[in-house]
Amino acid sequence: MPTVVIASPKGGAGKSTTAVLLGTELAHAGANVVMLDCDPNQSLTLWADRGPLPDRISVLSSVSESDIVKTIKRHDTDGQIVIVDLEGVASRLVSRAISQADLVITPMRATTLDATIGVRALQLISEEEEALDRKIPHAVVFTMTKAIKSKQHTGIAGSLAEQGVDLINPPLMERASFSALFEFGGDLHTMPAQGNMEGAIENAAQFAQAVYQRLAGEMG
Amino acid sequence: MTDKPFNIDLGRLKTREKDRSAQAVEKTDRAGEELGFVAREPQKKRGRKPSPRTGQVHAKVMPGISEEIANEARRRGVQQGVIIEEAWKLYKNKSGI
Repeated sequence: MPTVVIASPKGGAGKSTTAVLLGTELAHAGANVVMLDCDPNQSLTLWADRGPLPDRISVLSSVSESDIVKTIKRHDTDGQIVIVDLEGVASRLVSRAISQADLVITPMRATTLDATIGVRALQLISEEEEALDRKIPHAVVFTMTKAIKSKQHTGIAGSLAEQGVDLINPPLMERASFSALFEFGGDLHTMPAQGNMEGAIENAAQFAQAVYQRLAGEMG
Repeated sequence: MTDKPFNIDLGRLKTREKDRSAQAVEKTDRAGEELGFVAREPQKKRGRKPSPRTGQVHAKVMPGISEEIANEARRRGVQQGVIIEEAWKLYKNKSGI
């Protein structure tokens, strides 16, 4: 089963939120998901401890640089999707996780700072592809977006598209319920209503479906 | 909107073959290091660990006793081992060994 690595050297880009939304929506759609928490801040573990884990999800904490490769190996062949949530720094742990990915997702807020730092993950993927002589599929998802796109958002999206970067559509919008996942645990389907739940669930599900299409080879 | 907006066909999800050899990991590390993706986890301390009993690396006895043995050996002009040999002899007599 595929391994999805959520990577950006920029802190606060929305990696853990992206990981939780993707994991919970894929599990909701019927997949078994194992989530690896490689962030020293243990955001995934905090989420997992907040409430009962949704069906078909397990979380492994404190995966380190020395055991990331063998941990992924142990889990990516036994009927489950592996999602790896990384720390927001440029580290060897990040480069090793990327080397084991079937898809790397780089969450990015639509700001120049996020794009500038986030692009370093894309450069790393390109270097690893060359070093390992293997294509590593990757995509960018914009996070915490507003209903009306800013000029900055449009400009960055255009620039990335021009460079042939795969942009996941829809982006993950700024939603009260997305951040509340780390308050209540569980998933969007079980949490107490926070703002526009229907819109949030639809956004998360469409995002997960777009990722699934990439994993299933339905994209280009 | 339905409760389950899309279904997953697990049969379509395939993992790709990945090289997990030591050489591949080394290549990955090198590619990362060139872009500043370096080891950031604290390295393990090298060398012998302190004794859990005395808290010292090479100590055979508690620090205060070690000092007393050293002082007595210096006073008598003998090696510390002589004091320990005498102590061992006394212990054997006492224990009937």
